[in-house]
Amino acid sequence: METVSVLSDIQPAVETAPADRQDFASPPQPAILPLSGSEALMRSLLAEGVDTIFGYPGGAIMPVYDALYDYQDRINHILVRHEQGAGHAAQGYARMQGRAGVCLVTSGPGATNLVTAIADALIDSTPMVCIVGQVAKRLLGTDAFQEADVMGVTMPITKWNYQITNADEVPEVISKAFYIAQSGRPGPVLIDITKSAQLELMTRPFHYECCQSIISYRPRLVPKTEQLEAAAKLINGAKRPYMLVGHGVQIAKAEDELRQFAEKTGIPVATTLLGQSTISTGHPLYVGWLGMHGNYGPNVLTDQADVIIAVGMRFDDRVTGDASKYIRQAKVVHIEIDPAEIDKIIRADAPVVGDAKAALKALLPLVNANDHTVWRNEFRKYDAIEHEKITVPSLSGDSEKIQMGEVIDLLSKKTNGEAVLVTDVGQHQMMASRYYKFQRPNSLVTSGGMGTMGFALPAAFGAQVAAPDRTVVAIIGDGCFQMTLQELGTIVQNKQPVKAIILNNNFLGMVRQWQQLFHQRRYSFVELQNPDFVTIAKGFGMDGHTCADRTTLAESLDTLLAHDGPYLLEVIVEKEENVFPMVPAGASVAQIRLS
Amino acid sequence: MTTYTICVFTSNTIGLLNRITIVFTRRRINIESLTVSETERKGVSRFTIVIKHESREEVEKLVRQIRKIVEVMAVFGYLNDEIVYNEIALFKISTPLGAKPLDVETINKEYKAWVVYWGLDYVVIEKTGVEAEIFDFFQFLRHQHEILEFVRSGRVAVGKTEKGLVEYLPEAEWAYYL
Ligand SMILES: Cc1ncc(C[n+]2csc(CCOP(=O)(O)OP(=O)(O)O)c2C)c(N)n1
Repeated sequence: METVSVLSDIQPAVETAPADRQDFASPPQPAILPLSGSEALMRSLLAEGVDTIFGYPGGAIMPVYDALYDYQDRINHILVRHEQGAGHAAQGYARMQGRAGVCLVTSGPGATNLVTAIADALIDSTPMVCIVGQVAKRLLGTDAFQEADVMGVTMPITKWNYQITNADEVPEVISKAFYIAQSGRPGPVLIDITKSAQLELMTRPFHYECCQSIISYRPRLVPKTEQLEAAAKLINGAKRPYMLVGHGVQIAKAEDELRQFAEKTGIPVATTLLGQSTISTGHPLYVGWLGMHGNYGPNVLTDQADVIIAVGMRFDDRVTGDASKYIRQAKVVHIEIDPAEIDKIIRADAPVVGDAKAALKALLPLVNANDHTVWRNEFRKYDAIEHEKITVPSLSGDSEKIQMGEVIDLLSKKTNGEAVLVTDVGQHQMMASRYYKFQRPNSLVTSGGMGTMGFALPAAFGAQVAAPDRTVVAIIGDGCFQMTLQELGTIVQNKQPVKAIILNNNFLGMVRQWQQLFHQRRYSFVELQNPDFVTIAKGFGMDGHTCADRTTLAESLDTLLAHDGPYLLEVIVEKEENVFPMVPAGASVAQIRLS
Repeated sequence: MTTYTICVFTSNTIGLLNRITIVFTRRRINIESLTVSETERKGVSRFTIVIKHESREEVEKLVRQIRKIVEVMAVFGYLNDEIVYNEIALFKISTPLGAKPLDVETINKEYKAWVVYWGLDYVVIEKTGVEAEIFDFFQFLRHQHEILEFVRSGRVAVGKTEKGLVEYLPEAEWAYYL
């Protein structure tokens, strides 16, 4: 009898670790003294190729900081102003580098301050390794000073977490941490390390081996042939196929494969919020972005496609609207590295479990060349409507005050769509996505799944550290800015040329918009009494100025972009502008509103 | 409502119980019973978790979420007819002087239960069986005697397959664990 089980879940084949992690054996050393846990941690980080850490010291992590003192020339530690800032900076860094960002913080409040960023990284699949101090082993569970159950707190928001209680564990656990954070569907890993383990000496010589596999954890990278064939069959038979592209494509660095696939098959491509910039906005097959504030055609036409090819995306409710009414007419090919995402929200007729790069590459020879001109032109009709009803009025310059779209549109032109945009959360985030014309891959860093206000300033800093050659512009709301503005200090101290633009409407704009549309204009606690942002920036040693008049906007952006070093530009924008199109919460995507 | 038995094989690490139960809690699925023990393979633990659910699809999604946990090696979900399963219950019965004597014959022959401990004025009876059998026996005893304590274990189960389930675990240097 061979009926193992109805729901059996048998292991997929093993794939090896990403190629760029070199196997590292500890350099031959004289038989010297055993290392302390802290020193072992430093060597482990070096072995993983870590050269940047975002952190904040405190009692329970002091031995590690003490060890760090000797490694300053090899590991650049960046002192942030709040642990949440360390987390978001590490996220920004990871998104640009494609490798784990590293945070180092103390126990108790240090760790809990990091929690928001960890949750954010989990839902947006950002690799991150957080190293957190903990009270000494003998004090665990005694409500000691600055003890918090960080393992318990972070269990549901980490991909993996582990508590190190003795020095010998350090190398193996750190190598596992990096392997888990960076492989498969990436995510945050937290290592809690007791003060006693930091201080005590190892009982054996330090030896580091990069983790390449874990018995119980085997992400499938290369999809199964049957799955690819089934997918190709659906795609080849489609009359109105449509690709929905998410963040997974960028994580897999599969931008080229995506473009080749789209070009061969002639299938129109829309992206999710986080999927933006994976394909140039100027590409003839690119039709726009999906979701609550996405473009008109891409949303409406999901309801007319006969085959949907979803790549590296997870059918978030901000994309699907009412999921029970979403793409019921279409057959779905779902290419996804995380098997738990298959059928989670939308049933897949042809699931393809694997890395987006490997999957698209393998699919390419199996699909027929096609054109789909008629179908693609459908999108252009909706584009024309959106252009006339929304874009033109938005950018017309007819309003008394500057509108958000104008700022982004102008910025897009002045940077040729080549900057890295790091956006915060709210109306300005949606406007940035609408009006920036991304030309290069990996150019948008935003908090999608969590929607964390305060994300942009520290994340822009982290992104700039990781990508020193790119122009990094943070687009921030006046509300968001006040959540993490202390990181201006970090930016200045580290001389990173981050350009910050505050779109100041004196409101928690997105909430105000909802109150206007769905709560009969009852503006409950959304108006802000704002400080003088430019004076604050100057107080931190950062230059800046305010632009309140359309006639000086172009010049203001020139000043910002030309400035040697970090700069803050505050733009006073219209107070009660709304973001459209909009799929009201709980509505189906076809009910998208233009006004 | 259908009863599902979910068997989770994991490496043996601290905190894992927590990580696994969070998956149920987040989805508001009640755990009817849970037992954990080491398997025939050293270092490998087996969780047997019983839940009731209306939708098989949701259970399948749950299984996938559990599978995502790094230390989890494999997860199997079963319907009742695909497994051999049992529970064990202990009944502490008051037997003071002068009370109704224990009908040991019925207890043994009809209910396949055994007295495993004779106290001064109580006895402890052990009964293994499926939930319904245990409750039957509970009803029987309740009418005869005063039940001082009653405790029931979680379900333990093995699949009706020819091979052992651990055979389905990923290849490993098992010698390392032995
Ligand atoms: C930490 C956090 N708190 C609350 C919210 C809810 N929220 C979403 S957008 C928003 C308003 C943002 O205001 P502002 O930064 O001024 O940007 P605007 O929408 O005006 O562009 C709020 C309060 C959130 N996303 N994150």
